Amino acid sequence: MLIALVAVLHVFVSHFAVGGGFFLVTTERMARQEKDASLLDYCKRHSKFFALLTLVFGAISGVGIWFTIGLVSPEATSTLIHAFVWAWAIEWVFFFVEIAAAIIYAKTWDSLPEGDHMIVGWIYFVAAWMSLFVINGILTFMLTPGRWVETQNFWDGIFNPTFWPSLVARTAVSAILAGIFGYITLPKEDGREKVSRWASTWLIGGALVLPVSLWWYFSRIPLFSQLYMNGVMTGVRHAVRGGIAFTGLAVAIALVCGVWKPRWMRPPVVALLLVCGLGMIGAGEYLREFLRKPWVINKVMYANDIRAAEVEGLQAKGVRQSANFLLTDDATSTEYGKNLFQLQCGSCHAASGYRGMNRRVDGWDAAFAADILQHIHMLRGTMPPYAGDETDRKALGQYLASLNPAWQFNITDANRLEIGEKVFGARCGHCHTVNGNFRPLRGTFEKATPSQVQEVFPALGAMSSNMPDFNAPADQAEALAFYISHEANLPLAHKPAPAEIPTGTNHSQLVRPAAGVGTGNAALPAAGAGEAR
Amino acid sequence: MQTIAIPRVDPMPLPGPVWLFTGLLLVVFTLHVIAMNSALGGGIWTLWNYLRGRHSEHPYSRRLANELSQMLPTLLAFTVTLGVAALLFVQVLFGNFLYTSSILIGSLWLAVIPLVMVAYYGYYYFSYKAEQGKGIAGCVLAISVCVLLTIGFIFVNNMTLMLRPDRWLGMYRAHPNGWNLNVGDYTVIPRYLHIVNGAIALFAAILAHLGMRKMKADAEYGRWLVQRAALVFAACTGLQFLLGMWLLLAIPREIAMTLLRDPLAGAVFGLALVSVIAAMLLILLGSLAEKPSALVNVGFGMSLVTLFLMVCLRYLLRLAYLKPYINLSALAVKPQVGVIGIFLLLFVGGLATVGYMLWLVARGVKTRANVAVMR
Repeated sequence: MLIALVAVLHVFVSHFAVGGGFFLVTTERMARQEKDASLLDYCKRHSKFFALLTLVFGAISGVGIWFTIGLVSPEATSTLIHAFVWAWAIEWVFFFVEIAAAIIYAKTWDSLPEGDHMIVGWIYFVAAWMSLFVINGILTFMLTPGRWVETQNFWDGIFNPTFWPSLVARTAVSAILAGIFGYITLPKEDGREKVSRWASTWLIGGALVLPVSLWWYFSRIPLFSQLYMNGVMTGVRHAVRGGIAFTGLAVAIALVCGVWKPRWMRPPVVALLLVCGLGMIGAGEYLREFLRKPWVINKVMYANDIRAAEVEGLQAKGVRQSANFLLTDDATSTEYGKNLFQLQCGSCHAASGYRGMNRRVDGWDAAFAADILQHIHMLRGTMPPYAGDETDRKALGQYLASLNPAWQFNITDANRLEIGEKVFGARCGHCHTVNGNFRPLRGTFEKATPSQVQEVFPALGAMSSNMPDFNAPADQAEALAFYISHEANLPLAHKPAPAEIPTGTNHSQLVRPAAGVGTGNAALPAAGAGEAR
Repeated sequence: MQTIAIPRVDPMPLPGPVWLFTGLLLVVFTLHVIAMNSALGGGIWTLWNYLRGRHSEHPYSRRLANELSQMLPTLLAFTVTLGVAALLFVQVLFGNFLYTSSILIGSLWLAVIPLVMVAYYGYYYFSYKAEQGKGIAGCVLAISVCVLLTIGFIFVNNMTLMLRPDRWLGMYRAHPNGWNLNVGDYTVIPRYLHIVNGAIALFAAILAHLGMRKMKADAEYGRWLVQRAALVFAACTGLQFLLGMWLLLAIPREIAMTLLRDPLAGAVFGLALVSVIAAMLLILLGSLAEKPSALVNVGFGMSLVTLFLMVCLRYLLRLAYLKPYINLSALAVKPQVGVIGIFLLLFVGGLATVGYMLWLVARGVKTRANVAVMR
């Protein structure tokens, strides 16, 4: 959450810093060629605003990302530093030139000859865009490391499969933001229409290039990431729709209030455009982060900062053998489980609040939690495999179970179905649906009575190595059986088509038993099906 | 006995030789410290002169505050920019130590970011309002200076904590949420005071040099500036000796002995003492004359030499602290030769580009001055 907040704001301003520099120097060139005093005044005013925003907020929030990733993912940061320190050093050189040029450009309107001033402006733009060029290589590497995984070659990592489409997309975004921010300092009187239309040109031009570059980008992302885009993942769906909506709205506003009726480009409209810009960046950053799940560096390191190569060792020996910072030496305690949660889950989840685990594990007891942890990569979603041994799982299970009070129900005929649904959500819903398209149970339980369903429960753990033992209290088991039977016997309008649903196994390189084995349900899509795409 | 927990060294080899990273770290960190001393020391100098200059009997103070106010945002910009490079190279060599100490003080460490923004915008605000000499400009500047002093304190805590793996586990168990400070380490306070006092001193040396340049246009003002800066430089340098001794005594005995037994550290320490005494004498002697002499500029140069030597000594002290835990020469190295070459070329090119822009600015100023004279 912290990274997301810092990153979105930084990306918002830093892309403006790239596009805005180009916008400024080309606008200055136009003003000088056309001897347009009001346009030149606008450039002066805009450069002051530009410097205040990009030099302070843009630059410092960039350092903020450094600070944040070092705290949240030190192992991944260290890997990126070791692989690409010279890329960062080169990026720093451009950053240094960029900062110097921005300060000089904003301060020397009256003291430098026209030509010299524009030279400084061009130097700024080239340095800023080159800074983007280099950093784009590292950012895209994290999702598409390409041949680097085998060669560990610097150039393979930087010029990875999504380098060029991402560079074009980011350049387009920079142009859009240059246009949006360009409205902020619009002249009040002379030249207002001209600047408004000019800024709109940037916004619309960028927005025309963006979809093409994104289509190119998405065509080159890994198969497991493409799977997330199939509409099943709610967050991804919202991000895609939000990104399109925000960009579309920005273009519409630019056409109406920027090109057609510039006098309508008033502060509230500009504020709305800024919201659109921020929304567009937020959606893009969310997608960029999410499409990489459960990795932080694809094929190298999971989002919880554990190297893929180390998972099997941790599963064999337990976390406590190698972890340096444990709050307790008692590996059977809930305190140890809490510690494991902070170490292994804290990068993406809080106990409550952001991606809060208390909501996700409501209804779990310690044994069930410990059991399900070993299959966590097979759940619906994007979880990495659990990297710990049985002792670790038990301790973490205890902690997860302690996040909520144990369920106590007074089950009656009136609430049996409702409670059954709730129990299903807690005990089965992470891996199954009844009538949905994710490992549906209808095929198994169609035409079964509640008591027939309930008879199956004690044998669940023996059916498959992937099924946890069923240990819910008798009243909850009864309600659950009632719910499954009820749902499995509802008439269906159409037969659900098995869809490719993302799970952690889509990306895992570890060998595990195939999901669904022994469930007696041929309709269950095998986990890892996405690999076949 | 407390367990000493240290995250392992990154399994990937270093992408360049240790000496190159060390050299780059020392160079960029020295530049960062010069900028930082100017931004912090400059802020303190500006605040003092601004407050003093509010009374009409101190017109030069007011003038100095106005002039400095225009420089402060730029100085802070370069403090941050150069600090980024230093942070990059220190992570390569000492990442497992720095990440751990940063996480231990994580909440305060993160606070550095908004605090820098507050100080930065405060400096900008002051630069716009200083000339009017009224309103809340002085308060804003005071807040910025206080914020920078706070940031410095957080940095000192982190940089000392990364040297003390023996304190980490206990600290983590006491406050696992990042609300820690390293104030239990006796070196923190003297080191912090040493740095703050050093910032005031170095900026005094810079001002003495600036005063020499100002004398060309306004001899009276220039002399006032040189003499005032020289006095402050001498006083702060004297105090720096006392703080340095305090710091040396606060360092654990075995670490201090490791440092002092190292011939290189001894030589650097000796040279630093000689150069700082030389800087103090040269600046004082040069400023005492009716017309301050070029000795001031030589003294200013010596103060920069001293600073570089102190940065080297600080690095050697770090090695002495971490000697039981890391052997840099044993780290695996796989140099990315081609990329290193490109970086070095771009580094020189980048410096040349900045130099070229500054030349354009100087030429523009000169041209305008000539035009003004002709009119």
